[in-house]
Amino acid sequence: MPAFLLYLVHTLFPPDTRQPTELGADFMILVTGIGIVFILTRYQKWRWLWREWLTTVDHKRIAIMYLIAAIAMLFRGGVDALMLRTNLALPNVRPIGALEYNEVFTTHGTIMIFFMAMPFIFALFNAVIPLQIGSRDVAFPRLNAMSYWLFAFGAILFNISFVIGGSPNAGWTGYPPLTEVAFNPGPGESYYFLSLLIAGIGTTITGINFLVTIIRMRAPGMTLMRMPMFVWSVLTTSALIIFAFPPLTVALALSLLDRTFGSSFFTLGHGGMPMMYVNLFWLFGHPEVYIVILPAFGIFSEVVPTFSKKRLFGYTTMVISLVSIMFLAYGTWVHHFFTMGAGPTVNAFFGLSTMLIAIPTGVKIFNWIFTMWGGRIRITVAMLYQMAFIPTFVVGGATGIMLSVVPADYQLHNSYWVVAHFHNVLIGGTVFGLLSGLYYWWPKMFGFILNERQGKVAFWLFVIGFWVTFLPQYLLGLEGMTRRMYTYPFGFGWHELNLISTLGAFIMGAGFLALVYNIVWSLRYGERDLTGDPWNGRTLEWSLPSPAPEYNFARIPVVHGVDEFWAMKESGDTLANHLRPQDVKTLELPKNTGMPFMLGLSFFVGGFGMTFLWWPIAIFGGLGVVACLLYAAFDYNDKKHLPADVIRHTERSWGRLQA
Amino acid sequence: MSEGMSEHSEIEAVEPGLEFLRPKFEVEGFPWAQVMGYVFSLLLTFAALLLVVYHAMPPILLLAVILALALGQAGLQLGVFMHLREGRGTAWQLLPLGLAFFIAFALIGTSIWIMLFKTGVS
Ligand code: HEM
Ligand SMILES: [Cu+2]
Repeated sequence: MPAFLLYLVHTLFPPDTRQPTELGADFMILVTGIGIVFILTRYQKWRWLWREWLTTVDHKRIAIMYLIAAIAMLFRGGVDALMLRTNLALPNVRPIGALEYNEVFTTHGTIMIFFMAMPFIFALFNAVIPLQIGSRDVAFPRLNAMSYWLFAFGAILFNISFVIGGSPNAGWTGYPPLTEVAFNPGPGESYYFLSLLIAGIGTTITGINFLVTIIRMRAPGMTLMRMPMFVWSVLTTSALIIFAFPPLTVALALSLLDRTFGSSFFTLGHGGMPMMYVNLFWLFGHPEVYIVILPAFGIFSEVVPTFSKKRLFGYTTMVISLVSIMFLAYGTWVHHFFTMGAGPTVNAFFGLSTMLIAIPTGVKIFNWIFTMWGGRIRITVAMLYQMAFIPTFVVGGATGIMLSVVPADYQLHNSYWVVAHFHNVLIGGTVFGLLSGLYYWWPKMFGFILNERQGKVAFWLFVIGFWVTFLPQYLLGLEGMTRRMYTYPFGFGWHELNLISTLGAFIMGAGFLALVYNIVWSLRYGERDLTGDPWNGRTLEWSLPSPAPEYNFARIPVVHGVDEFWAMKESGDTLANHLRPQDVKTLELPKNTGMPFMLGLSFFVGGFGMTFLWWPIAIFGGLGVVACLLYAAFDYNDKKHLPADVIRHTERSWGRLQA
Repeated sequence: MSEGMSEHSEIEAVEPGLEFLRPKFEVEGFPWAQVMGYVFSLLLTFAALLLVVYHAMPPILLLAVILALALGQAGLQLGVFMHLREGRGTAWQLLPLGLAFFIAFALIGTSIWIMLFKTGVS
């Protein structure tokens, strides 16, 4: 028996997870875990947690759970970033060694993309889309909950790798042969493949769910060309997800087979082709960057008209550019591996297709500027992020176009120029967009407004920190510093710029703390949103109380044009003015279910078993998955009725029901 | 009793055009087609796996056979699980399906084009 325990300890906590940072993390996790369990037990909140949250199928609650996860992951990824930057602050200091540096940048990149940016966009999809299209829910509410739990348990599986068994260390791209079991034994890379596979299933389902929702669940009268622009951006994003995630799934699954069952799809020996992995990964990877940027474009297209008090300039060209970006996004992936040497024709083709994307993107930038032109601009936090986004994204886009020039890329590839470029678009585009959306829709999600003054402090810290961090990195790239270095010697002339960059990273860290303070403070003292329309909005979500009731619309509105709610307000004809008691009907809503949670848990158990090659546990998890799916397939009792009287009562308490 | 009846008649009808979202198991009975489709897709998959693992034929022939199995698999998935045979809204289904085929072939074709350089190198 002791031998067995010894084996367990050695496998779960091998020597390289017993370093100060890891032990610190262990301690933190333990303390937080005990704290949460204590609080839940002390206040008898377990039932509440299960009934109201873990089993919910309400898109608005799922949105909140996505948001909490995204902010937690932003914290984790941010701490990783600070560790990386600390290591590079001065030559040869290296508080962390080469191996650990590899683990930290892998974790940072993977978490930021898959477990921060993705859930953050899904939080806003869920919070906003059904309300904007005048619908009571998404098309498949249970699948929606399944998506969330697959994401959540995938994220947990990835996160425990740091303290249990060892982290992945082959970069967020996970190229072979770095991930081959011969060169990279231990559970790290298996964690990476399995957690991304599990979360990826959830993401694919989300794509399908929102595509169907937008195509089939719009309120009567809302033709495609009357949809708010955020809805258009989510429609194109969903289409991107549906076609982009399968290549990733294939690449990850085949790599996992290579690692686990000794096949040789991507191995160096036995006729494997590692470069095919690279091809498949970026077949997903380039659409992925548009998956995280298009929703940000959509958010700005909502924020700008609202705070400029003007309708969006060039609606039709905005739609055309979104759709053409969607198609072009599939045709550029080789620009991530020009240096593989596929030849001048291939490289020229993909260099050109990359440059083409600048055209529709430029159209959008000009349209936002023209929307602001002559408008009555209100400088709110949401608007500030949009105004910081335009110059930042233009620089990020321009440096990207420079990378698409093949001969230039041969020089810049894998240098800090690339690190600066992709942070420029990921932070300046995606993160600014998401934060803008966060401040904009926060009242709708939670019923109170985030304090604007504190929000502005956080904003300035973020933006200044961002430029201080990443501008020097362009220069470092030009001076030859390569990506993924864990340290550098004195005398290369890199130390001043690196020190400045690290300083900037800590300013951004302060920005994050200010954001959290802003949220916590506003939770207690923030101004309540009693009207449901704090910003004088233009689209249907603002016609509802904040937060919207479970059924969203007591009566589904009829839409006559773009910016329907604005038109309603102009004519004094809002939804609330017209709702008579007899208009309210008993509604059929989806019933809560524990199945999605159990399904995620089963995937987690199975994934954990496969990571350590503990087959009984893996099989147990697999059986759990099958059981959950069977249960879901034959559970016919999945609807509940919300009586008309309850709805009338709710609406009356908001003063939205005519006598 | 009449109370309950009137409550029920108050239930809002499903939006026009969305009736298909309601499950219709009651009328359709046990989903034999799906179960058999599932079994057959497993059979096709394992057939391909075994042929490859045991090098059952010369490579070119092997490629041809697993390609044929893959086409069979795709047809099965489309026919049984992707509602291709159901009459309603066919036009709506053909458009995205055509798009899917286009994207799939474009991506596979360009991938082959990209990776061809290996034949010149090795
Ligand atoms: C506080 C802000 C951030 C800082 C200071 C920061 C810093 C860094 C650093 C130092 C690296 C490693 C570079 C190297 O050694 O090659 C890195 C890599 C990376 N970062 Fe960030 N980062 C930040 C935010 C983000 C965000 C918001 C995202 C995505 C949404 C992101 C995505 C990535 C990716 C994908 C990599 C590449 C990882 C790899 O090489 O596998 N980062 N970042
Ligand atoms: Cu790309």
